[in-house]
Amino acid sequence: MAALGTLDSANLNGGQKLAVKFFTVAIALFGAQVLFGMLAGIQYLNPDFLFGVLDFSVNRMLHINAMVVWLLFGFIGAVYWLLEDESGTPVAGLGLGNLMFWVFTLAVVVVVLVYLLVQVGPGELKSIWLINEGREYIEAPRWADIGIVVCVLIFFYNVAATFMKGRFTGIGGVLVLDLVALAGLYLAGMWYTPNISMDQHWWWWVIHLWVEATWEVLVGCLLAYGLVKTMGVRRRIVETWLYIEVALLFGSGILGLGHHYFWIGTPEYWLAIGGFFSALEPIPLVAMVVHAVFDAGHHKLKSSNNPALAWMIAQAFGNFFGAGVWGFMHTLPQINLYTHGTQWTASHGHLAFFGAYATIVIAFVYLAVQKWRGNVWMSGDMAGGWKWKWAIFLLHAGMIGMTMALLVTGYEQSQVERAIGGSSWIAYFEAQAHVWFVQGMNWRMVSGWMFATGFVLLAWDLMTIGKRETRPARSVEVPAAAMA
Amino acid sequence: MSETQTLWWASESFWKKMAVWITAGSAVVLIFLTFDTVNQITAGGKRVPPYSVINNRIDYVFDEKRNYQVPVIGPEEPLFGKVLNEAEAMALVSRGKLTTQAKNCMNCHTLLGNGAYYAPDLTKSWLDPMWGSKETREETMVAFLMDPTDKLHNTIGRRMPNLGITEEEARATVAFLKWMSAIDTNGFPGNFPTIDQSDPAPAPESVSAPTETPAL
Amino acid sequence: MIEPVELANFFTVFFSAASVILFGAGYALLFAWSRVSGRPRLMPLAYATYLGLAVSVLVLGNAANLFNNGYWTFIVGLMLVGYLVAPHAVWHLCVGTHAEGDEAIKVSQQR
Ligand code: HEC
Ligand code: HEM
Ligand code: HEM
Ligand SMILES: [Fe+2]
Repeated sequence: MAALGTLDSANLNGGQKLAVKFFTVAIALFGAQVLFGMLAGIQYLNPDFLFGVLDFSVNRMLHINAMVVWLLFGFIGAVYWLLEDESGTPVAGLGLGNLMFWVFTLAVVVVVLVYLLVQVGPGELKSIWLINEGREYIEAPRWADIGIVVCVLIFFYNVAATFMKGRFTGIGGVLVLDLVALAGLYLAGMWYTPNISMDQHWWWWVIHLWVEATWEVLVGCLLAYGLVKTMGVRRRIVETWLYIEVALLFGSGILGLGHHYFWIGTPEYWLAIGGFFSALEPIPLVAMVVHAVFDAGHHKLKSSNNPALAWMIAQAFGNFFGAGVWGFMHTLPQINLYTHGTQWTASHGHLAFFGAYATIVIAFVYLAVQKWRGNVWMSGDMAGGWKWKWAIFLLHAGMIGMTMALLVTGYEQSQVERAIGGSSWIAYFEAQAHVWFVQGMNWRMVSGWMFATGFVLLAWDLMTIGKRETRPARSVEVPAAAMA
Repeated sequence: MSETQTLWWASESFWKKMAVWITAGSAVVLIFLTFDTVNQITAGGKRVPPYSVINNRIDYVFDEKRNYQVPVIGPEEPLFGKVLNEAEAMALVSRGKLTTQAKNCMNCHTLLGNGAYYAPDLTKSWLDPMWGSKETREETMVAFLMDPTDKLHNTIGRRMPNLGITEEEARATVAFLKWMSAIDTNGFPGNFPTIDQSDPAPAPESVSAPTETPAL
Repeated sequence: MIEPVELANFFTVFFSAASVILFGAGYALLFAWSRVSGRPRLMPLAYATYLGLAVSVLVLGNAANLFNNGYWTFIVGLMLVGYLVAPHAVWHLCVGTHAEGDEAIKVSQQR
């Protein structure tokens, strides 16, 4: 085995070797997301910037597609990371998994190049097959959709077959079923219809049922594994709580879909359903709060990886504020009539995606880097420990700044454009020219720069953390009972 | 310690079953509702007009009973002066929809309030007063879509780029926008000020409304 | 079905909605902490926080015109009752699921 503190794949098991490939691409795409977000943000203040070269639509599409793909890559990587450990056996069909990684990555590169170089096509079906589908978050052309489905099937085969071969734990069971749902939902967004109401109806199945149901449960599985492995919480308890979370999240999240069916042509009863389940959505959050306090009172927080723990704590807060508080503020139809499709939505979208999902992927990448370097010390007083602390601070300060700035603009927009002006063309621009809006956009950019700096620091830290470290990681005992 | 001590309502097996049943129950309710919803939002259903609605005047009028604006189908006013049957209308609207997808309109605009926030919501664009008069509206829209770069309508200098839209695509897109404005959106956007569409002569009564009575 | 929020009430709606969730978390947190650390003196504080939650729900209900309609009034009632009992229910679940082999918890449970 290589010396402590050097990157060496001999330190990793088979699944983990594949995981770090996914993580590497994920972080690179995170960088692309930040870059294109900045370009789009600048265009709000300076509309002639790159006009006709890289229009806002192109930058925004790259921004949000990079996000979806880097988070998916992060999740896939995290699952490969824990797979052998959790199932107690090497990954079944790892070669296929490796091939899938290269195919998937290549497809992403081709899609991005087409977005950048071709951008738009004629109004025909072939544009949708070859260039882009023009539907938010799932713009990837149809050929890529099919490729993604094939890749996910291979991934699913790896996961299911490995658990079947080894130990099918409770976490494994939930994970496998959740992946079926996650992949199946993608199919709902894969067909063309001239009817925009129908289109958006199914589109929300993908977007909402991903982020408010299947992704949440996937993260629940990742955290459950983390609790068992890194904090020594007993497996039976963790798994019982995973089931409780599934019940609460799916129970409120599935029909919570109603909060997107207020205004797209869908029937009036969705106003009532969306309102009802909006009131339920805080319940899983309350459960997590109470349970976290309960656990903290009974397990000493001893961490072998401080950055990872910090990012997991950030996840708990981020999920709570981004989804819980920011979601609830605009979810009742009585107010959503005026906030729907404004910067309000963008404020919520940023905080929720970053808080609930970016954080947990980053936590896993820190876990991976630690082991990759031979399980080095990552607790207090690390060499260069300022980097991860400044990265987490700048990323959060930047994100909170952006969210607050967008909240102010959204508040102004919902009043001036939506409520007073009735969302007409003229009212739209009245709101965009309003001093609150312009100030908000300026502050968004200031915060964006902060966030971008934080990202650079994060990437640098991930490449160097633990490099000259010679101490082995602090050991966190896992009681024998937890392994049972 | 023994398993038997665990209370049934706090046991792993109980919550495993709960997770399965709650998920399955929610999914069944959702599927049941989906059948009804899909039925109502099919073009020509209760909430979404047939494509041939583009042959008529469309307005957006406050409804006392439902307490918000609803689309109202008026007298015949064919788009570009040509009456189309349902199949022809569908082909035209579909061409427009494909154009909006291929040109990525939704990454600048919102449609039905979903999309991006860099440009105005297009749900009722067909009825926007900025198009001037109803006589010139269609041609103004086509000309704008084909080359918007020299037609700035705001003080902040934010222009729509030239997306290479052909005349045929532009006309189809206008058809799509007109059709979309007739979807019953439960009053979104609220308080929308509409373009004056009245005839010089007294306006005839509206013939039908594609709207349902309140469900609840 | 719904009566959209008046312009003048926008801020109240956002603020009270955020308060509902924040007070809800505060109440749950204090409640759990009081029990877990065996500090019954914190319990009144927890219920005071719930009072804040209840007031926020009522203010939200009023600002969002929820009381003009039976169904939405029912939702307000549901929030009032549901958010009151949820931390209790979750607490019992915590105790129940951790019961096995953890003496420390049993003690605080029986207090
Ligand atoms: C790069 C961003 C961008 C893209 C892509 C884009 N638009 Fe626009 N659009 C704008 C802007 C900005 C305006 C406002 C122009 C002005 O005020 O002069 C606008 C205005 C409009 C208007 C008039 C606004 C109103 O309220 O009625 C219509 C209609 C329109 N666009 C349709 C489309 C269609 C259809 C597409 C896709 C084929 C499209 N746009 C793609 C940026 C864009
Ligand atoms: C981690 C979980 C969540 C994520 C990642 C998330 C993300 C998003 C995003 C990105 C959008 C914008 C979609 C678009 O582009 O149109 C959105 C919209 C919305 N979200 Fe969430 N969300 C989450 C949880 C919640 C919760 C818990 C609630 C309610 C309590 C909620 C309520 C809403 C509503 C009402 C909208 C529609 C906004 C509009 O009308 O424009 N979300 N969400
Ligand atoms: C430098 C940092 C960033 C900047 C400047 C930025 C900027 C932007 C801009 C300009 C938009 C378009 C909004 C619109 O349509 O008007 C956008 C959309 C979006 N961004 Fe970012 N962004 C940044 C980082 C992030 C991060 C880290 C995430 C999540 C992990 C994120 C998630 C999103 C989402 C989900 C949307 C779509 C929102 C919606 O449709 O409601 N962004 N961003
Ligand atoms: Fe949602």
